[in-house]
Amino acid sequence: MTRLVHYVIVYGVPLVFLNVLAEQLGAPIPAMPALVVAGALTRNGQMSSTHVLIAAVIASLIADYIWYELGRRYGYRILRTLCRISLSPDSCVRDTEARFERWGLKSLLIAKFIPGFSTVAPPLAGAARQSRIAFLLYDALGALLWAGSAVAAGRLFFRAIDRVLLAIENLGYWALLLLGSALAIIIIMKWMQRVQFLKQLRLARIAPGALKDLIDTGASPVVLDVRTPSARKRDTRRIPTAIIANTDDIEGQLRHLEPNTEIVLYCT
Amino acid sequence: MLIDKGFTVVRPLAGGLDAWADAGFPLEEIVIE
Repeated sequence: MTRLVHYVIVYGVPLVFLNVLAEQLGAPIPAMPALVVAGALTRNGQMSSTHVLIAAVIASLIADYIWYELGRRYGYRILRTLCRISLSPDSCVRDTEARFERWGLKSLLIAKFIPGFSTVAPPLAGAARQSRIAFLLYDALGALLWAGSAVAAGRLFFRAIDRVLLAIENLGYWALLLLGSALAIIIIMKWMQRVQFLKQLRLARIAPGALKDLIDTGASPVVLDVRTPSARKRDTRRIPTAIIANTDDIEGQLRHLEPNTEIVLYCT
Repeated sequence: MLIDKGFTVVRPLAGGLDAWADAGFPLEEIVIE
């Protein structure tokens, strides 16, 4: 048995717990690799798959419940904060809200498999005032599916994983340096992507005062209300003359417009 | 999505509806037909 595998076996379950907890709280540290390695080690009885799964599910539940309660307490504001600090620019309140609206709590069953959605779904469930018991039930099932599939993959590819672990062991401290560098590169790339995205967004956005001026001067931009139906139920106001956009048929709604028409859209 | 449909001048409203309301600009109720 290699020294690395020995450490993983001794501290494996707490490591899986901490890794899953950190990831689900929003840290950019993927837990999937740890779960797959743990899965490989359960294959020959070096670790218990039950313990690994229990640790992963409990860690998930703790982190997700914190987000759920924050969502319940602070409503949709917490989602905006999350999207602002998120390193995944593709996860925006509207996309996640629309997905949650379509599938309801069942979306928690697959949330962990969708990048960006995993951290946003629990506060969304809280903000939508879903019941705590139903949330915990679906969230636990989702966590079990997610961790279970990683452990199953580890069990399936255990020989290949053993070889990788051996190679890492042979690299000694260089392995730590390599893994640390890889993680740092991922975080830096995501951060740069995020900065670029925000820069583009800032350039493209129009301030409320500028829109008001446009309307007042008779420029008549087309204003689109692209909120989800439930967001419109929560706040029944709109900007005067705004068109209520139906994202399934937006092409039909706008077919009479010229391509160079100025369009301003807004969410909540 | 709108840009994919061929529209060339598409801008999101900074801060959304809340920012418009916070600025004190007029709003109207949505009439459900």
